Amino acid sequence: MASGGQRIIPLEEGWNDEIKAKAIDKLEDLLNGGMKTGTSNMFGPREYVTIYTTCYDMCTQRSPYNWSRELYQRHGETIENYLTTHVLPALRDRTGQGGTILLRELQLRWTNHQIMNKWLKKFFTYLDRYYVKHHSLPTLSQAGLRCFRTNIYDEMKRDTTQAILGLIDEERNSQIIDKSLIKNIVELYENMGMGSLDAYNADLEEPLLNSTREYYAKKREDWINDSTPDYLIKAEEALEAERSRVADYLNSSSESKILKVVEEEILEKVETILLEKETSGCRALLQNDKSEDLQRMFRLFSRLENGLVPIATILQNFVSSMGDDIINRRKARLESEKDRNDDPKFVKSLIELHEKYLGVVKKDFSGHSLFQKALKDAFVEIVNKNVGQYTNAELMSTFCDRILKSGGEKLSEGEVEESLDRIVQLFSYLTDKDLFAEIYRNQLAKRLLNQRSTSDDAEKLMIAKLKMQCGTQFTSKMEGMLADLAVGSEQRTEFEQRMRQVDTKLDFSVQVLTTGFWPTYKSPEVSLTPEMSKCMDVFKEWHDKKHQKRKLTWMFSQGNATVRGVFGKKSYDMQVSTLQAIALDAMNGGETLTFEELAKRLNLEESILKPLMHSLSCGKYKVIAKTPASNKINTTDKFTANAKFSSNMRKIRIPMASLDSTLNTKRVEEDRTIAIEAAIVRIMKARKTLQHQQLLSEVLNQLAFFNPNPRVVKKRIEALIDREYLERSADNNHVYNYLA
Amino acid sequence: MDVEEATVKLISAEGDASPVPLAVAKMSELVKSMMDEDAEEEDIKEIPLPNVKSQVLHKVIEFCEHHLQEPMNEIEKPLKSNAMSDVVQKWYAEFVDIEQVLLFELILAANYMDIKPLLDLTCATVASMIKGKTPEDIRTTFNITNDFSPEEEAQVREENKWCEEA
Repeated sequence: MASGGQRIIPLEEGWNDEIKAKAIDKLEDLLNGGMKTGTSNMFGPREYVTIYTTCYDMCTQRSPYNWSRELYQRHGETIENYLTTHVLPALRDRTGQGGTILLRELQLRWTNHQIMNKWLKKFFTYLDRYYVKHHSLPTLSQAGLRCFRTNIYDEMKRDTTQAILGLIDEERNSQIIDKSLIKNIVELYENMGMGSLDAYNADLEEPLLNSTREYYAKKREDWINDSTPDYLIKAEEALEAERSRVADYLNSSSESKILKVVEEEILEKVETILLEKETSGCRALLQNDKSEDLQRMFRLFSRLENGLVPIATILQNFVSSMGDDIINRRKARLESEKDRNDDPKFVKSLIELHEKYLGVVKKDFSGHSLFQKALKDAFVEIVNKNVGQYTNAELMSTFCDRILKSGGEKLSEGEVEESLDRIVQLFSYLTDKDLFAEIYRNQLAKRLLNQRSTSDDAEKLMIAKLKMQCGTQFTSKMEGMLADLAVGSEQRTEFEQRMRQVDTKLDFSVQVLTTGFWPTYKSPEVSLTPEMSKCMDVFKEWHDKKHQKRKLTWMFSQGNATVRGVFGKKSYDMQVSTLQAIALDAMNGGETLTFEELAKRLNLEESILKPLMHSLSCGKYKVIAKTPASNKINTTDKFTANAKFSSNMRKIRIPMASLDSTLNTKRVEEDRTIAIEAAIVRIMKARKTLQHQQLLSEVLNQLAFFNPNPRVVKKRIEALIDREYLERSADNNHVYNYLA
Repeated sequence: MDVEEATVKLISAEGDASPVPLAVAKMSELVKSMMDEDAEEEDIKEIPLPNVKSQVLHKVIEFCEHHLQEPMNEIEKPLKSNAMSDVVQKWYAEFVDIEQVLLFELILAANYMDIKPLLDLTCATVASMIKGKTPEDIRTTFNITNDFSPEEEAQVREENKWCEEA
């Protein structure tokens, strides 16, 4: 068009006289001559513009003098020609002279190619703008790169890859290598994918993964005779070295693949051997508290899928066996000692064991859930292994009793809380939580009624902890007990006002307990002293007026009294139970009574009178003398006040054996029956129809506080069928229907 | 170091030198490609543009200078109007309100120097002159005698096939 004023440039003239002479020949000379760095001044603006203008003109001339196609073709040929006549021979020359030499040559040639490609692109750039686009051809840069790939890379890559792998192995063997050289060559591999990593992956990464596998397979054989900790230190160093190698000069996408190969070779394939080494395996490390080694073991094997499972299993077995040791020590003790419901040594050992391995799980195994579960499973096994006459539930409850009652363990407030915390952790592993609750409630009642509880706050704290573990229902009765006492102390002041108007020598007060919260007690009807009866009547009248709908029942067995007794010239304050007080009253005045007479006068059965008299005549303080003197009460014995009694203490406490056994297993059984039936009905109401097995498993799921025997559940189902809550399906004997 | 203040001399076909700030000159991809490198820019003082006449070069520089102050809006395609003032800002519409000959030379210069917004503007201006017209009207507008032989006409069609596909 407007360039019509200018002369048309013929193809060969433009190519030979201008482009080839001024651009290509000069460029090749510069590259072959090895130019200095800072290559941008190879062509000045005037030279550059001249060449550009020639190309521009040749590409904008009207057809048939438009040389775009020819120039594009010659651009490619120029590069190809240079690569095959100069570059390839040079590289071939360097092959076989050592990896570094070959790679250095390749690095130089690659850099040169990039320079050449860049300049040619600039000269011919007008082609990129229209010709390439309209014909959907590779851009000039792409074409140049492809040329390099076909003519150089594909020819040389086997040799260069071998050279790189050789250098990497040298570096693995702690030799110093030229990292930046490899980094540059890796960039070449990356570029050869033309925008993807295919070339890098196939030509370098793949062979590298194979050689890595071989290398570490050999290392594994070398190292495996070391102790496990030593092996793992080496393994960790190797993994770290491979990681930083990738960061230094490989493509970052290779990191996970290389590490995986290394992990497979040096960890996965020998995990069992490493973990089970007799003297340095996982068990030995646990045994010797090798915290650091365990942490490393955890770190390394957490890299493998399921790599931690065997470690967790070893931990579980180890803790179980430690628990068994504790149980066996208790068993051994029981052979020489009498079995009691109190074995603090045993409970403390369990707490210590738990505390220690809870720490190990937290610190060495990062609190990983697998290990928490392993510890839990081990302890569920240990804690529910009962030996001797008393269950662990009872031993644990009694341990709490020791902590909470006055005169037991002497602990600071902080220690009390800590101990309770730990015992509750053990408690959480108990299957028979309801049994613990029953015993705990009995002991709590005793502490409260005998005013033997050290601290109200500690009691509340413990109940709160149990509540956290098991829910409100679990602790409602215990909380009710504490509430009774709180209400009682308010009422007491009120009742004292009333008592002031009554003429009596007794200092009289009453604790009202709500039936159901408290354990059930034997309540013998006993002949009281007239003074006592009088006070009780006053209270009953006062209480009935206040609470018309409540029924009072007296629990004499739970009452206390302080009785002043005068023996010779000395008087003593004796702290005794209400029943003991009545017996003392009967003996007052020096009368001698036979067992029979006493029974009649007090209106007490033999089973109660015997321990009662035993406490007064055979204990530490023999305030009553019996004939014949012995340590056993017989129905033929005779009793009289012991005039010769004396003691250094003015205040003496005369304990009496409890009339109720601490444990009422029958009651636990009853509660369980109710809980099972309630669960069955709840589930069936929701599901309407269920198979026996399904129902059974849902019932077991629902019952958190104990583990019922399937036979017992089956019995309960039958009982419910009898009572027409459920029916067996007509078609299938194993299916139940809910009857609304 | 205030690079923006640096200038470079653009040399026209006639050999006249026009000093322009670097930022203005770099609107041309051709100029920019000479500067882009880690090259020491101060080394390059003169850039010859043998395909651009002085008159045209001045117009190009005017465009580039203004474009740095007020960049031209992207031109909507297809053109929404025959009036360039509906298509671009006032300044640009007035900028191309020029003789046809100069307009065509501007197109060539923009193409040669690779200044995309200028190429867009000038081509759009020509397009606005064609838009909605019959070939006869177009011939009149551009003062063209239909001297195509049927073969030539077919060849032109072939060469410009791409724009019909677009």
